[in-house]
Amino acid sequence: MIIGIMVAVLIFYVAVGISLVKVVKNEDDFYIMGGRGSTLLIVGTLSATYLSATTLLGIAGQSYTEGPLVISALGSFGAWIGTLLAVVYVGRKMKAYGSTTMPDFFDKRFKSKWVSVIAIIIMIVGLIGYGVIQFIGAGIVLSEVTGIDYRWIVILFTLAMLAFTAIGGMYGIVVTDTLMFFTMLTISIVIVPLLIGQAGFDQMRGLADTLPGYWSIAGTEDRHIGWSISQFLVWILFFACIPALVSRVFPAKNDFVILKVAIIGVFFAPFMQLTVFIAAAAIRVLDPNITDPDYAMVSGFLDFTPPAIAGIGLAALMASIMSTASTLFVLVGFALSRDLYERLFDKKLDSKQSLSAARVGQIIVGIIVCIITIMRPSAIYWISIYAGSIFAVGWLPTIVASFEWKRMNSKAAVASMLIGVISFVALGEIFRQGIIVPPEGIDELMIALVLSVASLIIVALLTQPKEYELESYYDMKSNSMAKITINEYLSKPDGLVKIKKEYKQIQITAVVMTIIAVAVWGYFFVMLGL
Amino acid sequence: MNIDVFILFFNATFVTILSCVIVLGILRKQYLPVIKEEEKKQRDTSGISEQESEVKGEDKA
Repeated sequence: MIIGIMVAVLIFYVAVGISLVKVVKNEDDFYIMGGRGSTLLIVGTLSATYLSATTLLGIAGQSYTEGPLVISALGSFGAWIGTLLAVVYVGRKMKAYGSTTMPDFFDKRFKSKWVSVIAIIIMIVGLIGYGVIQFIGAGIVLSEVTGIDYRWIVILFTLAMLAFTAIGGMYGIVVTDTLMFFTMLTISIVIVPLLIGQAGFDQMRGLADTLPGYWSIAGTEDRHIGWSISQFLVWILFFACIPALVSRVFPAKNDFVILKVAIIGVFFAPFMQLTVFIAAAAIRVLDPNITDPDYAMVSGFLDFTPPAIAGIGLAALMASIMSTASTLFVLVGFALSRDLYERLFDKKLDSKQSLSAARVGQIIVGIIVCIITIMRPSAIYWISIYAGSIFAVGWLPTIVASFEWKRMNSKAAVASMLIGVISFVALGEIFRQGIIVPPEGIDELMIALVLSVASLIIVALLTQPKEYELESYYDMKSNSMAKITINEYLSKPDGLVKIKKEYKQIQITAVVMTIIAVAVWGYFFVMLGL
Repeated sequence: MNIDVFILFFNATFVTILSCVIVLGILRKQYLPVIKEEEKKQRDTSGISEQESEVKGEDKA
Protein backbone atom coordinates (compact mmCIF):
# COMPACT_ATOMS: atom_id res chain seq x y z
CA MET A 1 0.00 0.00 0.00
CA ILE A 2 2.77 2.43 0.98
CA ILE A 3 4.62 2.04 -2.33
CA GLY A 4 1.30 2.44 -4.19
CA ILE A 5 0.64 5.74 -2.39
CA MET A 6 4.14 7.02 -3.17
CA VAL A 7 3.85 6.16 -6.87
CA ALA A 8 0.35 7.69 -7.06
CA VAL A 9 1.55 10.92 -5.39
CA LEU A 10 4.52 11.24 -7.75
CA ILE A 11 2.41 10.52 -10.86
CA PHE A 12 -0.18 13.08 -9.72
CA TYR A 13 2.39 15.88 -9.41
CA VAL A 14 4.03 14.93 -12.73
CA ALA A 15 0.59 15.15 -14.38
CA VAL A 16 0.00 18.58 -12.81
CA GLY A 17 3.41 19.71 -14.10
CA ILE A 18 2.71 18.51 -17.64
CA SER A 19 -0.71 20.19 -17.64
CA LEU A 20 1.06 23.55 -17.15
CA VAL A 21 2.90 23.33 -20.50
CA LYS A 22 0.33 25.49 -22.28
CA VAL A 23 -0.08 27.95 -19.40
CA VAL A 24 3.59 29.01 -19.16
CA LYS A 25 4.14 31.07 -22.32
CA ASN A 26 7.03 33.40 -21.45
CA GLU A 27 9.74 34.07 -18.87
CA ASP A 28 7.40 36.30 -16.86
CA ASP A 29 5.05 33.32 -16.38
CA PHE A 30 8.04 31.14 -15.47
CA TYR A 31 9.60 33.48 -12.89
CA ILE A 32 6.56 35.13 -11.23
CA MET A 33 3.58 33.29 -12.81
CA GLY A 34 2.80 36.47 -14.74
CA GLY A 35 1.88 38.26 -11.49
CA ARG A 36 -1.45 36.39 -11.42
CA GLY A 37 -1.22 34.77 -7.97
CA SER A 38 -4.56 34.80 -6.13
CA THR A 39 -4.95 34.81 -2.34
CA LEU A 40 -5.64 31.05 -2.30
CA LEU A 41 -2.55 30.21 -4.36
CA ILE A 42 -0.18 32.48 -2.43
CA VAL A 43 -1.51 31.31 0.97
CA GLY A 44 -1.14 27.72 -0.27
CA THR A 45 2.42 28.08 -1.48
CA LEU A 46 3.52 30.12 1.57
CA SER A 47 2.04 27.61 4.04
CA ALA A 48 3.34 24.55 2.18
CA THR A 49 6.82 26.09 2.04
CA TYR A 50 6.65 26.98 5.73
CA LEU A 51 5.79 23.41 6.79
CA SER A 52 9.05 21.76 5.79
CA ALA A 53 10.05 18.12 6.11
CA THR A 54 12.02 19.15 9.23
CA THR A 55 8.79 20.01 11.05
CA LEU A 56 7.23 16.60 10.40
CA LEU A 57 10.40 14.63 11.15
CA GLY A 58 13.15 16.28 13.23
CA ILE A 59 11.23 18.88 15.26
CA ALA A 60 8.22 16.57 15.72
CA GLY A 61 10.73 13.99 17.01
CA GLN A 62 12.21 16.53 19.42
CA SER A 63 8.69 17.37 20.63
CA TYR A 64 8.09 13.63 21.15
CA THR A 65 11.20 13.20 23.33
CA GLU A 66 11.67 16.58 25.08
CA GLY A 67 8.14 18.05 24.98
CA PRO A 68 6.17 20.17 22.50
CA LEU A 69 7.19 23.53 24.01
CA VAL A 70 10.98 23.22 23.67
CA ILE A 71 11.10 24.52 20.10
CA SER A 72 7.61 25.92 19.60
CA ALA A 73 7.18 28.32 22.55
CA LEU A 74 10.00 30.64 21.49
CA GLY A 75 11.82 29.20 18.44
CA SER A 76 8.70 28.70 16.32
CA PHE A 77 7.27 31.97 17.65
CA GLY A 78 10.29 33.69 16.08
CA ALA A 79 9.60 31.84 12.81
CA TRP A 80 5.96 33.02 12.78
CA ILE A 81 6.96 36.66 13.27
CA GLY A 82 9.76 36.20 10.72
CA THR A 83 7.21 34.88 8.21
CA LEU A 84 5.03 37.94 8.81
CA LEU A 85 8.02 40.25 8.21
CA ALA A 86 9.02 38.28 5.09
CA VAL A 87 5.58 38.88 3.57
CA VAL A 88 4.51 42.31 4.74
CA TYR A 89 7.89 44.08 4.88
CA VAL A 90 10.69 42.45 2.84
CA GLY A 91 8.64 40.75 0.10
CA ARG A 92 6.18 43.63 -0.28
CA LYS A 93 8.93 46.25 -0.65
CA MET A 94 10.95 44.11 -3.09
CA LYS A 95 7.89 43.44 -5.23
CA ALA A 96 7.07 47.16 -5.34
CA TYR A 97 10.61 47.72 -6.63
CA GLY A 98 9.91 45.31 -9.50
CA SER A 99 12.11 42.44 -8.31
CA THR A 100 11.41 38.98 -9.73
CA THR A 101 14.04 37.21 -7.58
CA MET A 102 15.90 38.33 -4.45
CA PRO A 103 19.31 38.66 -6.18
CA ASP A 104 17.41 40.73 -8.76
CA PHE A 105 16.73 43.26 -5.96
CA PHE A 106 20.44 43.57 -5.09
CA ASP A 107 21.25 43.98 -8.79
CA LYS A 108 18.68 46.75 -9.30
CA ARG A 109 19.51 48.55 -6.05
CA PHE A 110 23.33 48.71 -6.45
CA LYS A 111 24.23 47.79 -10.05
CA SER A 112 27.40 46.24 -8.58
CA LYS A 113 28.76 42.92 -9.81
CA TRP A 114 30.49 42.33 -6.47
CA VAL A 115 27.27 42.70 -4.49
CA SER A 116 25.37 40.51 -6.97
CA VAL A 117 27.99 37.73 -7.01
CA ILE A 118 28.32 37.61 -3.20
CA ALA A 119 24.52 37.69 -2.78
CA ILE A 120 24.08 34.84 -5.28
CA ILE A 121 26.82 32.72 -3.65
CA ILE A 122 25.22 33.23 -0.21
CA MET A 123 21.86 32.19 -1.66
CA ILE A 124 23.09 29.09 -3.47
CA VAL A 125 25.16 27.86 -0.50
CA GLY A 126 22.40 28.71 1.98
CA LEU A 127 19.60 27.07 0.00
CA ILE A 128 21.57 23.95 -0.91
CA GLY A 129 22.74 23.50 2.68
CA TYR A 130 19.23 24.06 4.02
CA GLY A 131 17.33 22.11 1.34
CA VAL A 132 19.60 19.16 0.53
CA ILE A 133 20.01 18.16 4.16
CA GLN A 134 16.21 17.95 4.48
CA PHE A 135 15.99 15.99 1.22
CA ILE A 136 18.59 13.53 2.58
CA GLY A 137 16.86 13.13 5.97
CA ALA A 138 13.40 12.72 4.49
CA GLY A 139 14.71 10.36 1.79
CA ILE A 140 16.23 8.07 4.44
CA VAL A 141 12.96 7.99 6.42
CA LEU A 142 10.92 7.32 3.28
CA SER A 143 13.35 4.60 2.20
CA GLU A 144 12.95 2.89 5.60
CA VAL A 145 9.15 3.15 5.46
CA THR A 146 8.72 1.97 1.86
CA GLY A 147 11.63 -0.47 1.65
CA ILE A 148 12.73 1.14 -1.63
CA ASP A 149 16.46 1.81 -2.03
CA TYR A 150 17.37 5.35 -0.88
CA ARG A 151 19.01 6.20 -4.22
CA TRP A 152 15.86 5.30 -6.16
CA ILE A 153 13.75 7.42 -3.81
CA VAL A 154 15.98 10.44 -4.54
CA ILE A 155 16.00 9.82 -8.32
CA LEU A 156 12.21 9.33 -8.49
CA PHE A 157 11.52 12.47 -6.45
CA THR A 158 14.00 14.50 -8.50
CA LEU A 159 12.37 13.43 -11.78
CA ALA A 160 8.88 14.18 -10.44
CA MET A 161 9.95 17.62 -9.21
CA LEU A 162 11.68 18.44 -12.48
CA ALA A 163 8.36 17.75 -14.22
CA PHE A 164 6.79 20.77 -12.56
CA THR A 165 9.83 22.99 -11.92
CA ALA A 166 11.41 22.74 -15.39
CA ILE A 167 8.05 22.96 -17.17
CA GLY A 168 6.24 25.40 -14.92
CA GLY A 169 8.88 27.32 -12.93
CA MET A 170 7.24 29.44 -10.23
CA TYR A 171 3.84 28.65 -11.80
CA GLY A 172 4.45 24.93 -11.28
CA ILE A 173 5.70 25.50 -7.74
CA VAL A 174 2.76 27.69 -6.68
CA VAL A 175 0.10 25.34 -8.11
CA THR A 176 1.65 22.13 -6.74
CA ASP A 177 2.42 23.79 -3.40
CA THR A 178 -1.24 24.74 -3.03
CA LEU A 179 -2.30 21.15 -3.72
CA MET A 180 0.34 19.99 -1.21
CA PHE A 181 -0.96 22.53 1.33
CA PHE A 182 -4.38 20.86 1.34
CA THR A 183 -2.75 17.45 1.80
CA MET A 184 -0.69 18.80 4.71
CA LEU A 185 -3.76 20.47 6.20
CA THR A 186 -5.30 16.99 6.47
CA ILE A 187 -2.73 16.21 9.16
CA SER A 188 -3.88 19.17 11.27
CA ILE A 189 -7.63 18.76 10.84
CA VAL A 190 -8.04 14.96 10.53
CA ILE A 191 -5.01 13.03 11.80
CA VAL A 192 -4.16 15.20 14.83
CA PRO A 193 -7.72 15.07 16.29
CA LEU A 194 -7.72 11.28 15.75
CA LEU A 195 -4.41 10.87 17.62
CA ILE A 196 -5.43 13.23 20.45
CA GLY A 197 -8.80 11.44 20.70
CA GLN A 198 -7.04 8.11 21.23
CA ALA A 199 -4.44 9.48 23.66
CA GLY A 200 -6.75 11.78 25.66
CA PHE A 201 -5.86 15.27 26.90
CA ASP A 202 -5.62 14.07 30.53
CA GLN A 203 -3.05 11.41 29.64
CA MET A 204 -1.12 13.93 27.54
CA ARG A 205 -1.00 16.37 30.46
CA GLY A 206 0.01 13.46 32.69
CA LEU A 207 3.23 13.03 30.70
CA ALA A 208 4.72 15.75 32.93
CA ASP A 209 4.32 13.41 35.95
CA THR A 210 6.50 10.68 34.45
CA LEU A 211 8.71 13.01 32.40
CA PRO A 212 9.45 16.13 34.50
CA GLY A 213 9.55 19.28 32.37
CA TYR A 214 7.65 17.71 29.44
CA TRP A 215 5.16 20.62 29.31
CA SER A 216 7.73 23.36 29.98
CA ILE A 217 9.86 25.60 27.75
CA ALA A 218 13.02 24.02 29.21
CA GLY A 219 11.74 20.53 28.31
CA THR A 220 12.86 17.22 29.78
CA GLU A 221 16.51 18.14 29.08
CA ASP A 222 16.08 21.28 31.24
CA ARG A 223 17.57 23.57 28.60
CA HIS A 224 18.82 27.03 29.61
CA ILE A 225 16.46 29.92 28.80
CA GLY A 226 19.36 31.53 26.87
CA TRP A 227 19.17 28.65 24.40
CA SER A 228 15.44 29.26 23.84
CA ILE A 229 16.01 33.00 23.36
CA SER A 230 18.81 32.36 20.86
CA GLN A 231 16.44 29.99 19.00
CA PHE A 232 13.88 32.81 18.87
CA LEU A 233 16.49 35.18 17.40
CA VAL A 234 17.79 32.63 14.89
CA TRP A 235 14.33 31.86 13.56
CA ILE A 236 12.99 35.41 13.42
CA LEU A 237 16.08 36.71 11.58
CA PHE A 238 16.33 33.69 9.28
CA PHE A 239 12.65 33.59 8.31
CA ALA A 240 12.42 37.36 7.74
CA CYS A 241 14.68 37.14 4.68
CA ILE A 242 14.81 33.50 3.55
CA PRO A 243 14.26 33.44 -0.24
CA ALA A 244 11.89 30.46 0.03
CA LEU A 245 9.30 32.65 1.79
CA VAL A 246 10.06 36.13 0.42
CA SER A 247 9.92 34.92 -3.20
CA ARG A 248 6.34 33.72 -2.59
CA VAL A 249 5.20 37.35 -2.55
CA PHE A 250 6.48 38.13 -6.06
CA PRO A 251 3.75 36.22 -7.99
CA ALA A 252 0.93 37.94 -6.01
CA LYS A 253 -1.65 39.71 -8.18
CA ASN A 254 -1.69 42.96 -6.17
CA ASP A 255 -1.24 44.48 -2.71
CA PHE A 256 -4.65 43.31 -1.51
CA VAL A 257 -3.56 39.70 -2.10
CA ILE A 258 -0.32 40.31 -0.14
CA LEU A 259 -2.21 41.85 2.80
CA LYS A 260 -4.72 38.96 2.93
CA VAL A 261 -1.84 36.46 2.75
CA ALA A 262 -0.14 38.26 5.66
CA ILE A 263 -3.21 37.57 7.81
CA ILE A 264 -4.28 34.10 6.61
CA GLY A 265 -0.80 32.68 5.91
CA VAL A 266 0.50 33.82 9.29
CA PHE A 267 -2.43 32.04 10.97
CA PHE A 268 -1.70 28.77 9.15
CA ALA A 269 2.01 28.79 10.09
CA PRO A 270 1.39 28.12 13.81
CA PHE A 271 -1.78 26.13 13.08
CA MET A 272 -0.01 23.54 10.91
CA GLN A 273 3.10 23.45 13.09
CA LEU A 274 1.70 23.43 16.62
CA THR A 275 -0.91 20.78 15.87
CA VAL A 276 1.92 18.48 14.69
CA PHE A 277 3.90 19.12 17.89
CA ILE A 278 0.83 18.49 20.07
CA ALA A 279 0.21 15.28 18.10
CA ALA A 280 3.80 14.24 18.93
CA ALA A 281 2.81 14.37 22.62
CA ALA A 282 -0.26 12.24 21.83
CA ILE A 283 1.99 9.68 20.10
CA ARG A 284 4.22 9.70 23.21
CA VAL A 285 1.17 8.56 25.21
CA LEU A 286 0.15 5.95 22.63
CA ASP A 287 3.64 4.53 22.02
CA PRO A 288 6.35 5.69 24.44
CA ASN A 289 8.96 3.28 23.03
CA ILE A 290 9.78 4.73 19.61
CA THR A 291 13.58 4.46 19.51
CA ASP A 292 14.27 6.88 16.63
CA PRO A 293 12.19 10.02 17.33
CA ASP A 294 12.45 11.12 13.67
CA TYR A 295 9.90 8.37 12.95
CA ALA A 296 7.43 9.54 15.63
CA MET A 297 4.92 11.14 13.23
CA VAL A 298 5.26 8.37 10.64
CA SER A 299 4.61 5.77 13.37
CA GLY A 300 1.61 7.82 14.45
CA PHE A 301 0.17 7.77 10.92
CA LEU A 302 0.78 4.07 10.32
CA ASP A 303 -0.05 2.56 13.73
CA PHE A 304 -2.89 4.71 15.06
CA THR A 305 -5.02 5.83 12.10
CA PRO A 306 -7.13 3.86 9.58
CA PRO A 307 -5.20 2.81 6.42
CA ALA A 308 -6.84 5.39 4.12
CA ILE A 309 -6.02 8.25 6.50
CA ALA A 310 -2.51 6.89 7.09
CA GLY A 311 -2.08 7.04 3.31
CA ILE A 312 -3.04 10.72 3.28
CA GLY A 313 -0.58 11.31 6.13
CA LEU A 314 2.22 9.70 4.13
CA ALA A 315 1.20 11.72 1.06
CA ALA A 316 1.47 14.85 3.24
CA LEU A 317 4.96 13.80 4.37
CA MET A 318 5.97 13.34 0.71
CA ALA A 319 4.40 16.72 -0.08
CA SER A 320 6.49 18.40 2.63
CA ILE A 321 9.65 16.84 1.16
CA MET A 322 8.74 17.90 -2.37
CA SER A 323 7.70 21.39 -1.33
CA THR A 324 11.02 22.01 0.43
CA ALA A 325 13.19 20.44 -2.28
CA SER A 326 11.31 21.94 -5.24
CA THR A 327 11.73 25.41 -3.73
CA LEU A 328 15.47 24.75 -3.65
CA PHE A 329 15.36 23.61 -7.29
CA VAL A 330 13.42 26.57 -8.55
CA LEU A 331 15.26 29.34 -6.65
CA VAL A 332 18.77 28.07 -7.37
CA GLY A 333 17.70 27.46 -10.97
CA PHE A 334 16.48 31.07 -11.20
CA ALA A 335 19.82 32.26 -9.77
CA LEU A 336 21.68 30.31 -12.45
CA SER A 337 19.58 31.26 -15.46
CA ARG A 338 18.41 34.79 -14.68
CA ASP A 339 20.77 36.32 -12.11
CA LEU A 340 24.04 34.75 -13.29
CA TYR A 341 23.61 33.88 -16.99
CA GLU A 342 21.32 36.68 -18.20
CA ARG A 343 22.19 39.53 -15.83
CA LEU A 344 25.79 39.06 -14.77
CA PHE A 345 27.07 37.79 -18.12
CA ASP A 346 24.88 40.39 -19.85
CA LYS A 347 23.24 37.93 -22.27
CA LYS A 348 20.62 39.54 -24.47
CA LEU A 349 17.94 36.87 -24.88
CA ASP A 350 14.52 37.14 -26.43
CA SER A 351 11.48 35.81 -24.54
CA LYS A 352 11.72 32.29 -25.99
CA GLN A 353 15.48 31.98 -25.37
CA SER A 354 15.06 33.29 -21.83
CA LEU A 355 12.40 30.66 -21.11
CA SER A 356 14.65 27.93 -22.55
CA ALA A 357 17.61 29.14 -20.45
CA ALA A 358 15.40 29.08 -17.34
CA ARG A 359 14.37 25.47 -18.05
CA VAL A 360 17.96 24.37 -18.69
CA GLY A 361 18.91 26.04 -15.38
CA GLN A 362 16.28 23.94 -13.59
CA ILE A 363 17.55 20.69 -15.13
CA ILE A 364 21.20 21.49 -14.24
CA VAL A 365 20.25 22.25 -10.62
CA GLY A 366 18.08 19.12 -10.45
CA ILE A 367 20.96 16.90 -11.57
CA ILE A 368 23.48 18.56 -9.19
CA VAL A 369 21.12 18.35 -6.19
CA CYS A 370 20.29 14.73 -7.03
CA ILE A 371 24.00 13.80 -7.13
CA ILE A 372 24.78 15.63 -3.84
CA THR A 373 21.77 14.00 -2.15
CA ILE A 374 22.78 10.50 -3.28
CA MET A 375 26.52 10.96 -2.55
CA ARG A 376 25.91 12.64 0.84
CA PRO A 377 29.39 14.25 1.05
CA SER A 378 30.43 15.13 4.61
CA ALA A 379 30.81 18.78 3.55
CA ILE A 380 27.04 19.07 3.08
CA TYR A 381 26.50 18.26 6.78
CA TRP A 382 29.07 20.92 7.69
CA ILE A 383 27.41 23.50 5.40
CA SER A 384 23.99 22.68 6.85
CA ILE A 385 25.14 23.80 10.33
CA TYR A 386 25.49 27.35 9.00
CA ALA A 387 23.15 27.32 5.99
CA GLY A 388 19.93 28.52 7.61
CA SER A 389 21.38 31.46 9.50
CA ILE A 390 23.68 32.60 6.69
CA PHE A 391 20.81 34.74 5.32
CA ALA A 392 20.38 36.46 8.69
CA VAL A 393 24.03 37.57 8.93
CA GLY A 394 24.74 37.90 5.20
CA TRP A 395 21.59 39.44 3.76
CA LEU A 396 19.31 40.94 6.39
CA PRO A 397 21.38 44.01 7.43
CA THR A 398 21.95 44.91 3.76
CA ILE A 399 18.27 44.44 2.88
CA VAL A 400 16.99 46.62 5.75
CA ALA A 401 19.63 49.33 5.13
CA SER A 402 18.82 49.27 1.40
CA PHE A 403 15.17 49.98 2.21
CA GLU A 404 15.67 52.58 4.91
CA TRP A 405 19.05 54.35 4.67
CA LYS A 406 20.05 56.94 2.08
CA ARG A 407 23.79 56.44 2.67
CA MET A 408 23.62 52.70 1.97
CA ASN A 409 25.96 51.79 -0.87
CA SER A 410 27.58 48.80 -2.57
CA LYS A 411 30.81 49.02 -0.52
CA ALA A 412 28.86 48.83 2.74
CA ALA A 413 26.84 45.91 1.34
CA VAL A 414 29.99 43.96 0.39
CA ALA A 415 31.60 44.64 3.80
CA SER A 416 28.47 43.64 5.72
CA MET A 417 27.88 40.44 3.72
CA LEU A 418 31.50 39.25 3.88
CA ILE A 419 32.18 40.14 7.53
CA GLY A 420 28.80 38.73 8.59
CA VAL A 421 29.28 35.36 6.89
CA ILE A 422 33.02 34.93 7.61
CA SER A 423 32.73 35.89 11.30
CA PHE A 424 29.66 33.65 11.69
CA VAL A 425 31.43 30.56 10.32
CA ALA A 426 34.78 31.33 12.02
CA LEU A 427 33.20 31.92 15.45
CA GLY A 428 31.03 28.83 14.99
CA GLU A 429 34.12 26.70 14.43
CA ILE A 430 36.03 28.33 17.33
CA PHE A 431 33.13 27.68 19.73
CA ARG A 432 32.56 24.15 18.41
CA GLN A 433 36.26 23.23 18.79
CA GLY A 434 36.16 24.59 22.34
CA ILE A 435 38.99 27.08 21.69
CA ILE A 436 36.85 29.79 23.31
CA VAL A 437 33.70 29.16 25.34
CA PRO A 438 31.01 31.82 24.70
CA PRO A 439 29.05 33.30 27.63
CA GLU A 440 25.77 31.51 28.48
CA GLY A 441 23.00 32.49 26.07
CA ILE A 442 25.36 34.15 23.56
CA ASP A 443 26.10 32.38 20.29
CA GLU A 444 27.98 33.01 17.05
CA LEU A 445 24.87 34.30 15.27
CA MET A 446 24.39 37.21 17.70
CA ILE A 447 28.06 38.24 17.54
CA ALA A 448 28.23 37.89 13.73
CA LEU A 449 25.03 39.93 13.34
CA VAL A 450 26.47 42.75 15.48
CA LEU A 451 29.70 42.68 13.43
CA SER A 452 27.74 42.65 10.16
CA VAL A 453 25.62 45.66 11.19
CA ALA A 454 28.62 47.54 12.63
CA SER A 455 30.71 47.05 9.48
CA LEU A 456 27.78 48.19 7.33
CA ILE A 457 27.34 51.41 9.34
CA ILE A 458 31.08 52.21 9.52
CA VAL A 459 31.72 51.64 5.79
CA ALA A 460 28.57 53.53 4.79
CA LEU A 461 29.64 56.52 6.91
CA LEU A 462 33.18 56.47 5.48
CA THR A 463 32.07 56.25 1.84
CA GLN A 464 29.60 58.05 -0.39
CA PRO A 465 26.75 56.42 -2.31
CA LYS A 466 27.04 56.68 -6.09
CA GLU A 467 24.57 58.82 -7.99
CA TYR A 468 22.81 55.68 -9.26
CA GLU A 469 22.47 54.33 -5.69
CA LEU A 470 20.89 57.59 -4.51
CA GLU A 471 18.51 57.55 -7.47
CA SER A 472 17.53 53.95 -6.81
CA TYR A 473 16.96 54.79 -3.12
CA TYR A 474 14.62 57.69 -3.94
CA ASP A 475 12.97 55.64 -6.68
CA MET A 476 12.26 52.89 -4.16
CA LYS A 477 11.00 55.35 -1.54
CA SER A 478 8.63 57.00 -4.00
CA ASN A 479 7.03 53.71 -4.96
CA SER A 480 4.96 51.32 -2.88
CA MET A 481 2.67 48.37 -3.47
CA ALA A 482 -0.24 50.49 -2.23
CA LYS A 483 0.42 53.20 -4.86
CA ILE A 484 0.86 50.62 -7.65
CA THR A 485 -2.36 48.82 -6.68
CA ILE A 486 -4.39 52.03 -6.28
CA ASN A 487 -3.27 53.32 -9.70
CA GLU A 488 -4.05 49.95 -11.27
CA TYR A 489 -7.57 49.90 -9.80
CA LEU A 490 -8.37 53.57 -10.53
CA SER A 491 -7.41 53.10 -14.18
CA LYS A 492 -10.35 50.70 -14.56
CA PRO A 493 -14.09 51.49 -14.51
CA ASP A 494 -15.59 51.46 -10.99
CA GLY A 495 -12.04 51.41 -9.58
CA LEU A 496 -12.92 53.21 -6.35
CA VAL A 497 -15.86 50.89 -5.67
CA LYS A 498 -13.56 47.87 -6.11
CA ILE A 499 -10.90 49.36 -3.79
CA LYS A 500 -13.55 49.93 -1.10
CA LYS A 501 -14.81 46.36 -1.57
CA GLU A 502 -11.28 44.95 -1.11
CA TYR A 503 -10.74 47.23 1.91
CA LYS A 504 -13.90 45.86 3.53
CA GLN A 505 -12.96 42.26 2.68
CA ILE A 506 -9.57 42.59 4.38
CA GLN A 507 -11.18 44.11 7.49
CA ILE A 508 -13.61 41.17 7.68
CA THR A 509 -10.75 38.68 7.10
CA ALA A 510 -8.83 40.24 10.01
CA VAL A 511 -11.80 39.96 12.38
CA VAL A 512 -12.63 36.37 11.32
CA MET A 513 -9.03 35.13 11.61
CA THR A 514 -8.64 36.76 15.04
CA ILE A 515 -11.80 35.00 16.28
CA ILE A 516 -10.60 31.65 14.86
CA ALA A 517 -7.12 32.07 16.42
CA VAL A 518 -8.56 32.93 19.86
CA ALA A 519 -11.00 29.99 19.67
CA VAL A 520 -8.43 27.38 18.49
CA TRP A 521 -5.56 28.35 20.80
CA GLY A 522 -7.91 29.13 23.69
CA TYR A 523 -9.35 25.61 23.41
CA PHE A 524 -5.91 23.98 23.44
CA PHE A 525 -4.86 26.13 26.42
CA VAL A 526 -7.95 25.11 28.40
CA MET A 527 -7.35 21.42 27.60
CA LEU A 528 -3.57 21.37 28.17
CA GLY A 529 -2.67 24.33 30.38
CA LEU A 530 -5.45 25.01 32.89
CA MET B 1 -2.29 26.91 35.45
CA ASN B 2 0.81 25.97 33.46
CA ILE B 3 2.44 29.32 32.63
CA ASP B 4 4.68 27.82 29.91
CA VAL B 5 1.67 26.36 28.07
CA PHE B 6 -0.05 29.74 28.43
CA ILE B 7 2.98 31.46 26.83
CA LEU B 8 2.88 29.02 23.89
CA PHE B 9 -0.79 29.57 23.04
CA PHE B 10 -0.62 33.29 23.84
CA ASN B 11 2.24 33.61 21.32
CA ALA B 12 0.25 31.68 18.69
CA THR B 13 -2.75 33.99 19.19
CA PHE B 14 -0.57 37.10 19.43
CA VAL B 15 1.06 36.53 16.04
CA THR B 16 -2.34 36.42 14.29
CA ILE B 17 -3.50 39.56 16.11
CA LEU B 18 -0.18 41.27 15.29
CA SER B 19 -0.57 40.48 11.58
CA CYS B 20 -4.14 41.87 11.64
CA VAL B 21 -3.03 45.07 13.42
CA ILE B 22 -0.17 45.64 10.95
CA VAL B 23 -2.40 45.02 7.91
CA LEU B 24 -5.23 47.22 9.22
CA GLY B 25 -2.62 49.91 9.97
CA ILE B 26 -1.38 49.74 6.36
CA LEU B 27 -4.96 50.03 5.08
CA ARG B 28 -5.65 53.02 7.31
CA LYS B 29 -2.41 54.82 6.46
CA GLN B 30 -1.98 54.04 2.76
CA TYR B 31 -5.48 53.38 1.43
CA LEU B 32 -8.00 55.36 3.51
CA PRO B 33 -6.64 58.85 2.59
CA VAL B 34 -6.79 57.92 -1.12
CA ILE B 35 -10.35 56.58 -0.80
CA LYS B 36 -11.47 59.80 0.94
CA GLU B 37 -9.70 61.98 -1.62
CA GLU B 38 -11.24 60.07 -4.55
CA GLU B 39 -14.70 60.26 -2.97
CA LYS B 40 -14.26 64.04 -2.57
CA LYS B 41 -13.17 64.32 -6.21
CA GLN B 42 -16.23 62.36 -7.33
CA ARG B 43 -18.54 64.54 -5.19
CA ASP B 44 -16.97 67.70 -6.61
CA THR B 45 -17.27 66.37 -10.16
CA SER B 46 -20.91 65.36 -9.70
CA GLY B 47 -21.61 68.75 -8.03
CA ILE B 48 -20.12 70.61 -10.99
CA SER B 49 -22.09 68.55 -13.52
CA GLU B 50 -25.30 69.19 -11.56
CA GLN B 51 -24.60 72.94 -11.64
CA GLU B 52 -23.91 72.74 -15.37
CA SER B 53 -27.18 70.95 -16.05
CA GLU B 54 -29.04 73.55 -13.95
CA VAL B 55 -27.42 76.37 -15.94
CA LYS B 56 -28.35 74.64 -19.21
CA GLY B 57 -31.93 74.24 -17.98
CA GLU B 58 -32.16 77.96 -17.16
CA ASP B 59 -30.72 78.87 -20.57
CA LYS B 60 -33.37 76.77 -22.32
CA ALA B 61 -36.12 78.40 -20.25
